Amino acid sequence: MTAHGDACFKLIILDSKPFTWETMIFEPGRFQFMDKPDQTRHVKPGTKKETLTREERQKQLEFQKEAVVHLNSLYNYALHLTMNPDDAEDLVQETYLKAYRFFNSFERGTNCKAWLFKILKNNYINRFRKNSKEPGKVDYDLIKDFYHSIKDVQNDTSEADSDYFHSLLHEEVYQALHSLPEEFREVIQLCDIEGFTYEEIANMVESPIGTVRSRLYRGRKLLREQLEGYAKKYGFNTDTDQ
Amino acid sequence: MSAAVDCELSLREEQVFLLHLSECQECKDELEEAKNTKMIIKEKIVQFKAPQTLINSIMELTSVTRLEQEDSVLFE
Repeated sequence: MTAHGDACFKLIILDSKPFTWETMIFEPGRFQFMDKPDQTRHVKPGTKKETLTREERQKQLEFQKEAVVHLNSLYNYALHLTMNPDDAEDLVQETYLKAYRFFNSFERGTNCKAWLFKILKNNYINRFRKNSKEPGKVDYDLIKDFYHSIKDVQNDTSEADSDYFHSLLHEEVYQALHSLPEEFREVIQLCDIEGFTYEEIANMVESPIGTVRSRLYRGRKLLREQLEGYAKKYGFNTDTDQ
Repeated sequence: MSAAVDCELSLREEQVFLLHLSECQECKDELEEAKNTKMIIKEKIVQFKAPQTLINSIMELTSVTRLEQEDSVLFE
């Protein structure tokens, strides 16, 4: 409702009850004046928002919709690669910076998550692997420490089930996964955890699809052996069928 | 085998594979095991949440969000 007259101001009623002029005197809490109507909802010239071009704004919005939604996945991938929360954070940050800068070269309609993962992987190779002392060597204590240091308050849902698969703990699967040679672990992670297609994985690890297939096959087999090792340790009979 | 687990077989490959499965218990078992392994990984690997500081700094990158939030606050 706009009061008329020469003065240009807008009267805003704060509830839905009928408005009378008496209201202004007796119930002042029910309305407020805005002396420059609608100004706040529009861009004032010279504000920060105006300095952004339309294109830039468009890019930002699209980037959020396409790329930022994968933040958690990227973070987890970075954690798996670096085994260190601080490094993982750096890596993700760097990845997003790069991705944003080169967002125009992202092929629209393709899987943005795969694109981001590839950038992250490249960053990782450039930055971290160069300095690593003994690449490929697995430090089980490190994994254990790492896992405990970062473990969420997440409930351990593994009940005392007769099925040994269900009795496996997150940590054991995690350790088993990390005990695999990197080329196997990587494809399993990308396929089973992140749900990429073989084609996307092949592109990411820069190997033919046939190689991805066979690595997955062998990797899963190795993992399976590892897990059975745990199961035996806890006295589950793995010879019975599931 | 892995392609069968991940539904990545081509139509022709799948036909051949299914035909083979119908007469080979060994491969049938192996397929089950492979499927199971995949499921274990999917279910048991904990996905961590990215720390809030990281989320914030990524959001900063795309400052539109911040301005829009301000907008909606004003609007309310």
